[in-house]
Amino acid sequence: MDVILSNLSLGLQVALQPINIFWVTLGGLLGTIIGMLPGLGPATGVAVLLPLTFTMGPVGALITMAGVYYGAMFGGSRSSILINTPGDGAAIAATFDGYPLAMKGRAEAALAISAIASFIGGMISTIVMIFTAVPVARFAIKFGPAEYFLLMVFALSATAAMAKTNVVKGFISLFLGLMVSTVGLDAQSGVSRFTFGILELQGGIDFLIIILGIYALGEVFKSFRMIHEGSRKVQTKFGPIWITKEDWKRCWLPILRSTPLGFFVGVLPGAGGTMAALMAYNNEKNLSKKPEEFGKGAIEGLAAPEAANNAASVGALIPMMTLGIPGSGTTAVMMGALLMLGLQPGPLLFEKHPDIAWGMIASMIIGNIVCIIINMPLAKMLVRVLAIPARYLFPIVLGLAFIGTYAINNSVADLFIMIIFGLIGLFMEKADIPTSPMILAGIVGGMMEQSFRQARLISGGDWSIFWGSPICITLIVLTVASITWPILKEIKRKKAGS
Amino acid sequence: MKRSVKAVFLLGFVCFASASLFGGGAGEKAPKYPTKPIDMIAPAGAGGGWDLTIRTVAKVLTDTKLVPVPLPVTNKPGGGGGVNLAYMQTKKGADNLIAVYSPPLLLINLNGSSPYGYKNTTPIAALITDYGAFVVAKNSKYTSIAQVMEDLKKDPASVVIGGTSAVGSMDHIQFLIMARAAGVKDLKKIKYVSFQEGSGPAQVLGGHIQLLSTGLSDVRGLLQSGDLRGLAQTGPERVTTEVLKDIPTCKEQGINEVFRNWRGLFGPPEMPEYAVNYWRKTIAEMVKTPEWDAACRQNSWTKNYMDAPEFMAFLDKTNEDYKAVLGEIGMLKQ
Repeated sequence: MDVILSNLSLGLQVALQPINIFWVTLGGLLGTIIGMLPGLGPATGVAVLLPLTFTMGPVGALITMAGVYYGAMFGGSRSSILINTPGDGAAIAATFDGYPLAMKGRAEAALAISAIASFIGGMISTIVMIFTAVPVARFAIKFGPAEYFLLMVFALSATAAMAKTNVVKGFISLFLGLMVSTVGLDAQSGVSRFTFGILELQGGIDFLIIILGIYALGEVFKSFRMIHEGSRKVQTKFGPIWITKEDWKRCWLPILRSTPLGFFVGVLPGAGGTMAALMAYNNEKNLSKKPEEFGKGAIEGLAAPEAANNAASVGALIPMMTLGIPGSGTTAVMMGALLMLGLQPGPLLFEKHPDIAWGMIASMIIGNIVCIIINMPLAKMLVRVLAIPARYLFPIVLGLAFIGTYAINNSVADLFIMIIFGLIGLFMEKADIPTSPMILAGIVGGMMEQSFRQARLISGGDWSIFWGSPICITLIVLTVASITWPILKEIKRKKAGS
Repeated sequence: MKRSVKAVFLLGFVCFASASLFGGGAGEKAPKYPTKPIDMIAPAGAGGGWDLTIRTVAKVLTDTKLVPVPLPVTNKPGGGGGVNLAYMQTKKGADNLIAVYSPPLLLINLNGSSPYGYKNTTPIAALITDYGAFVVAKNSKYTSIAQVMEDLKKDPASVVIGGTSAVGSMDHIQFLIMARAAGVKDLKKIKYVSFQEGSGPAQVLGGHIQLLSTGLSDVRGLLQSGDLRGLAQTGPERVTTEVLKDIPTCKEQGINEVFRNWRGLFGPPEMPEYAVNYWRKTIAEMVKTPEWDAACRQNSWTKNYMDAPEFMAFLDKTNEDYKAVLGEIGMLKQ
């Protein structure tokens, strides 16, 4: 304990140097803006910074890059809430209830709670990281392919609850998502699947492109008629960016529950913020007393994923810092930058360069405070987007969606994929098929399938690998509970009603 | 917001404008070259080996003022480099783009995942070599690569090997080349599991796989701390940087084979002669600079400069070697 506190004070000494406060502010601001722009996520943000990091020195570089990472988690949800277009993958779940809230005229509360939840999620995780970084990383490596597979099953199990209104349509959507996730070069066999000779499809379809198609384009398509009739409501009066007591009462527990969930999913290499946010959302929907409100503007449905993705961004730094294993696109870029600066992330980083490692961790405490200070007034300006009449707003949304899609891989083919998915989204809307199971399945599907096959390959086809460890059994229990819980609740309610 | 939207649009237009500029292609004659920015392409996402190499090249060329024009780095990920290879086919004859490639350039063509290969590019120079490494967790029963091979000879499915590349690409092939040289029969039966998103080291640490086939410098941190044990490196002799010098080569352990993760620069097909000559000359000068030396030392890269003709001959020979291994595991698609 004493060691940790002395390390922390060393870190704070580094982090509180004026130049480093400047870097963390720059990082947080840049991250927020980049996160806000559809398609540009933290990985792009850090990559853009790369040439600049050469001049910063390792501490400055690390502090700034981490600032971009969690800053993007703050920013990503802004566009989810205001224009139904997630700024990056981790902000997808923020569209589910964030946008309906804005449409109900509660954009101010939505923007406020997402910043507050992000702050709390980031802050708690940073403090947890200070005390447990090393043991947590050691626990994360216990996750082998079998454990990953069961974790993905657990993430998907919540769709059973999602599809309650119309099971068949829910499953149509789910399987569509799983199908899409199989496109591309299969790593376990080296065979191209469903690419039809199109090279651009070999890397698979980036799920952010699908989301931009379904949400951003979809929203534009849906609103065509309204644009024509001029019937889309425009908000003209704006209140302060804050939440009511009632909102807080609904949100505090979901935030506190989603933070550890997000943190831990973030620590697992390969899982990441998108999955963390979606799992937190489903988890809250399952636990909620009013699950029917989810998707229609339940404020806790926005708070939970927002806390989770910030927590995940902090968690994701742990394997990189303590093991030298980058578990996400963003941390991979960060690690590349550190290597170019002559710094080797790994177990010895904390021993050899305690000032750098602890300086960065301490800077995150300051960074989170900076981010919430930036985000509140920013929200006040941004909320005025809702005052823009549809005929001006939607062309802007379209432009942003195209630029964002192109920015993901610098690929023109992706633009066509986005348009196709925009049309698919429109069709699903007409046929009354929910899109969220497809999105969830698409995001976890690829990893679920690969982990399943990795596990079977390792065990030589022996199924017992799937219940061979305490983690596996815990995950199975959680999955069963998450499927049966909503059903039991339903039965109980019917009994009470009759 | 309006102002920031405008800024975004401006940014967008700049992007498009510059993209169309780059796409302009080459004129018939170019008395002065280069005058415009040169696109430096990493055919993968930011943060990987290709990205690190091309960024280092761009940085050294700029720092030493060898190239007077800006050298922006672009990431064109997808298909193990195949997407960029297809893109380069649309830039036939252009003088303004340079991409970095390594063994996958040959492998993705041989295993059929890309219709294009090194013959559809203009090789300019080989720069460096990185070597492969085979590592195990510190509590593993294996202390030498020979023991692993002995077990594999008895039962090719007895050891689970993991790596980051897909089946039939680099991490897989470098192990199979060694296994073949060690006398393991039935290479097809060797279990190889591919882990994406760089989670391979975590899998070997956690004991989920027994051996990780990886790049020598990818796991340096974990080797230094003693969490991983290096069984072998694949070079002709040991790389001399700190912790890596303690890992014996395959050759020292009686496996008479070498696997090089060479990296070189490539222009688009039919790159004009003046551009090729300029780059051959420039790279030849670059590899002599102290800045390049320092960069290589920092990344524990072995300098391995080859000028275009020599590089081409090397590629031809290497291609035949890979062909043989892929043929044996039934992954050759040509």
